[in-house]
Amino acid sequence: MAMAEPSTIHTLEIDDGRDPSVQEFIDNTLAALIHGLSQSPTEANLSITLKRRASPTACIINPISGALEASPRVETYRKYSWPGKTAHEAWKFTVILRILAILDQAIRTGQLISKRDIYYIDPEFFRVQCTVDRIVDDLAYTIGVNRTALNVEAAAKGLVVGEFRLIRGSHILIDAQSVTEDSLIPRIEDGDEIDVSRHQYAKSLSAGSLPPVGANKFPHQSTSRRRNYGHGKLGVYFSMFRRRNEQPNSTLKQGKGYPDFMTRTFLRAMSDSIPNQSRRPPSFYVLTDGDPHGMAIMSTYKYCSAAHLHQNARLSMPRLQWLGLRVTDIIAVPEVLGDTALLSLTIRDRKKIMAMLRNSPVWASDGPEPEWRAELQRMLVLNMKAEIEILYGCQGGLEGWINRRMFRQE
Amino acid sequence: MSKQYLSRGSADNAHIIDIFSLAITDKQILSTSGASSIKVHSTTDADFPLLQSIDGAHTIGCHHIVTNGNGSRAITAGFDGEVKVWSCQDGHWAADAKLTADLSGADAWAIALSEDGQYLAGVTQEGRINVWDLATDGTRIRDHETKGSFGTCIDLSPDGRLIASGHEDGAVYIFTTETGRMPFSLSGLVNPVRAVAFSPKSRILAAAGDSKVIVLYDTSSGEQIANLSGHSAWILSLSWSDTGEYLLSSSFDGKVKVWSMETKTCVATHSETDKAVWSAKWLPKIGKTEGFATAGANRSIAFYREATG
Repeated sequence: MAMAEPSTIHTLEIDDGRDPSVQEFIDNTLAALIHGLSQSPTEANLSITLKRRASPTACIINPISGALEASPRVETYRKYSWPGKTAHEAWKFTVILRILAILDQAIRTGQLISKRDIYYIDPEFFRVQCTVDRIVDDLAYTIGVNRTALNVEAAAKGLVVGEFRLIRGSHILIDAQSVTEDSLIPRIEDGDEIDVSRHQYAKSLSAGSLPPVGANKFPHQSTSRRRNYGHGKLGVYFSMFRRRNEQPNSTLKQGKGYPDFMTRTFLRAMSDSIPNQSRRPPSFYVLTDGDPHGMAIMSTYKYCSAAHLHQNARLSMPRLQWLGLRVTDIIAVPEVLGDTALLSLTIRDRKKIMAMLRNSPVWASDGPEPEWRAELQRMLVLNMKAEIEILYGCQGGLEGWINRRMFRQE
Repeated sequence: MSKQYLSRGSADNAHIIDIFSLAITDKQILSTSGASSIKVHSTTDADFPLLQSIDGAHTIGCHHIVTNGNGSRAITAGFDGEVKVWSCQDGHWAADAKLTADLSGADAWAIALSEDGQYLAGVTQEGRINVWDLATDGTRIRDHETKGSFGTCIDLSPDGRLIASGHEDGAVYIFTTETGRMPFSLSGLVNPVRAVAFSPKSRILAAAGDSKVIVLYDTSSGEQIANLSGHSAWILSLSWSDTGEYLLSSSFDGKVKVWSMETKTCVATHSETDKAVWSAKWLPKIGKTEGFATAGANRSIAFYREATG
């Protein structure tokens, strides 16, 4: 993870220098397949050949650098044919084709996408995340380019978007004014103050995946470098209502997975700073997937984790409110969202929920969050989970849903 | 023709978390929830007082409770995966430590208890159906495999001849208890099944779930008799009245419906809450009037009686 220096804030740049070999590969592959389709079935050779990366056993320790490297002579090629010899091979072929089409669209529209985004375009089809990971990596390897040339971006960690000023002593260390550009979350030191008094609509993203294909857009993104936020797992959304019935001024923080130390320090500093700047206490909202991991992530934001017990008092977010996503949010309005969009829990999900209920005081029956406990139990009873991706399909997309929900909670 | 049921009060906030299951005896209603205790309320007193609270019954909550016909035995299935046995003497419930120990390791999500309390049937998260004989130290006497889809619900026919289970993939299975065979395969539902219930004379099996319709099957032929549609949300629970004249259903949007078996139509709809009603059960008749109890995400138990006169 490339971390920002304490005093600077980096915006992530989309590399506009495209590698022509990628488009060439995609075009050639698709053209060959179309040509194959025009031939008689006996002559047709519908296949895609990928160069496979070396497996760990085919790696060597470089005697000079001491680093783990791929052994030079173990390149293997794998041919995936349609319809192939087995159903599995046929499926694998369609997976590659599907991913190629997604990458093609991402490259043509200049959008960045993460492997996770690709997986979530059709989780039932891809079955497991690692299928996508592997094919993307093999494609990059076959073409001989870096993954970023496919517009596939590793999820960066700790991003913030919005208007805020980081004040250290009497200096304004960071003056973030853009509501369209994301930047890495700055390192916070003791005594730092975060001024959000003039901010209009700000959001912070943590480990956020960058623009996916076909996702909804947040407002204030009218620049030529239009980006989409909101794919992947969302972390925390903050909202400050200066006055009732006013468009919420919110700082949104998007995260993938559990928040890291820097992220939580930043949020806590914001939480501690705001009461000095505003008469009305601000609201802090969290939006995560409606699954055991989402609930555990929310718990980590609010109560921190068992791994950092000595720091938790400085990092917890006691005012954090639960925005969603609840399984019941989806079932309650099936016409809008489609209750078939819910996914079944896996055995691992169920075990994870049981372990959470059993082991953590946060979920105890006499604990601080009976609603959280109830939600985990409802998931078990219904055997279902809800992922945020579902909300893209609702009226106004994810943003519309968030705004409606914030007003309702207010 | 519609019928009227009047609210006869409620046990407000009987639990601090969603009530997932209700079980009835002649004078009591037992409830379990996401909290750890089993609550016992009187159904004969006008204000439905709390008679007993079995605290710490299931530390991480309990999703199913069933009782036998005469109300001497109850079985609970908890979120921790444990199945526990409770026995009642003079209206007071106590843990049956021996049978609970006998059943340790018994794998069951949804459970059903035979009328006489001797046989416990359960369906697992993998869709396996087991039957235990509680008269012989909880020996497992049946073990049926299905296609592996999550078993959400199970029922034993009152005559003891049949077991039915409902599954997440929409399948409904019937087994005969004597041979362990499936007499026929049922057409099933499209979406997850959340409730199955045999009529008092065991002639009809009702099944319902996310498809929002109740399907009635003839248990002698496996044919569908009727589809009852009217719910606009997932159906979570089903209960037959003593005589089999009426079927009670509850759904995710808080609606409770009473269906006439004579006309196959909905004769009453109640919507006291907009939150999920996880369980609805007919109460024993008082005189000639019938009544029912409902409970769910609003954490109270509501009681209704038929309007007479």
